[in-house]
Amino acid sequence: MSLINQKKDFKIISDLIPNGSTVIDVGCNDGSLLEYLNKEKNIEGRGMEIDQEKVRLCLSKGISVVEGDADLDLFDYPDDLFDFSILTYTLQATKSPKTVLTQLVRISKKSIISFPNFGHWLIGTSLLFKRKMPVSNRLSYSWHETPNLHFCTINDFIDLCEETNIKIEIKANLKNHKLSKFNGRSLLDSYFFEAGLFLVSKK
Amino acid sequence: MAVFFWEKIFIKIMTENNIVELASKNDPLVLDCGESLGPFKTAYTTYGTLNTNKNNAVLICHALTGDQYVASTHPITKKDGWWSEMVGPNNPIDTNKFFVICPNVIGGCMGSTGPKEINSDTNKEYGTEFPVITIADMVRAQKLLIDYLEIKKLFCVTGGSMGGMLVLEWLSKFPEMVLTAVPIATATNHSAQNIALNELARQAIMADPNWQSGSYYESESKPIKGLSVARMAAHISYLSKDALQNKFGRNLQDKNKLEYSFNADFQIESYLRHQGFSFVDRFDANSYLYITRAMDYFDITVNHKGSLIDAFKNTNSRVLCISFTSDWLYPTDENKKIVKVFNALGLNVSFIEIKSENGHDSFLMNEPKFFESIRGFLEASHKKL
Repeated sequence: MSLINQKKDFKIISDLIPNGSTVIDVGCNDGSLLEYLNKEKNIEGRGMEIDQEKVRLCLSKGISVVEGDADLDLFDYPDDLFDFSILTYTLQATKSPKTVLTQLVRISKKSIISFPNFGHWLIGTSLLFKRKMPVSNRLSYSWHETPNLHFCTINDFIDLCEETNIKIEIKANLKNHKLSKFNGRSLLDSYFFEAGLFLVSKK
Repeated sequence: MAVFFWEKIFIKIMTENNIVELASKNDPLVLDCGESLGPFKTAYTTYGTLNTNKNNAVLICHALTGDQYVASTHPITKKDGWWSEMVGPNNPIDTNKFFVICPNVIGGCMGSTGPKEINSDTNKEYGTEFPVITIADMVRAQKLLIDYLEIKKLFCVTGGSMGGMLVLEWLSKFPEMVLTAVPIATATNHSAQNIALNELARQAIMADPNWQSGSYYESESKPIKGLSVARMAAHISYLSKDALQNKFGRNLQDKNKLEYSFNADFQIESYLRHQGFSFVDRFDANSYLYITRAMDYFDITVNHKGSLIDAFKNTNSRVLCISFTSDWLYPTDENKKIVKVFNALGLNVSFIEIKSENGHDSFLMNEPKFFESIRGFLEASHKKL
């Protein structure tokens, strides 16, 4: 993902978070989102990261980070410990997206989740005409080296939320970075969201 | 090489060995067992300089057989300090920035009050008259040293193994005095397996006829055989199966065929014998009994109705927990229990599991990723001062 896109992603997440919130970023990478949120919103941040190199990077930035696996280690946190949990571009790489989603809404009052939309029209054309697994700016891995295990579409995600009693409050297309209220399924979203970002909470 | 040489001289200049008398007859240290100690001696080393705000002090807690010579030449073995690559100028615990304090625990045998020191009431060595001490007692004694040094808040308290237990006790007992803490390869209590291993070691010492119920100080022969067997047994538990296999395998010691005897045919036998016999020169058998007992008694929840949450309810420090993949004495899941309770309390806790095949002893070795983690954590915390 380009730096400009990343910055826009960070900004849109920051817009959803009130000043001084407590935040856990699951799959926090090198901690840059937590740093950004700390600067912009003075958050009290925590990270979880599976890659040890990145854990060490976080430590050297003064970020509190736990080396851990979203599939296994979210169980360790008590209910509603954080104001926000964030999961960016990680849901599709987890072993059990359903468990992870359920745990996220359990440990925080609200969750911000983003993932690439496998239903995007360009992906459809790649499969339909080229007969090749799509590679794009948001799906940057070739099929044989991808860490992603569970691709989903916007509609699949909405289904999963319904199934697990999760309320979607706000949506955004990470193409144009505009937040809007979620009013149920839309055909347009499912075709044109390059990647979706959702603010969700337990019902 | 030249730089190394000068750094060694620099460390020498910057190091101070001290023995201080703490508490008093009228105001003694009251121990968990109900008895009192006072006055008592604490031997400690310091490195670096305490700044004017007195907020750069790092307390290093040694393990069972460690001592205050964390980064200076050991007076008996003449070897480098047990953490000399961790502590020093430009090392992860950088003595250009930090004022490092490393005390010998009470019950120890390198100058702090312990079983081999003279009991002023009887003018004889304590031996087994020395009261049974706990990890909490050691920390209470360390707290008196920190008060004596007029330090209100420690920048960091760190240590591995038993040292990590002391760190946890500091976090529980004197949370307001700890800004950051790094407990390494440790646990919130001693498991049955760990108690069993310590009991094996104690029985080896007590089975040595030279132990003489602990009153061997005046006699010619000391319980060195018992103590060295104790050390051999413990040493196995500090290493991993893979580390032993890769280092020694079934290699023979200075020979190319089996001797059909009970001499040290295998390299591993010879290595363990060496570990055992070199240990007795620097360690007191009674101290070994007392300190292993303190570790066995350790359970941070003991005065907290069994609740870890209650034990750390007043803690507000930034904590980095570290474990090692091949450590079966204080395994990762024991260390993760600490992380879990700090998470539950909403504390600033970090955790990293270092991949290493060196078993529990990894924390004493220059594992680059381990060193980098500590350096990063301390530097980032130092910037926040």
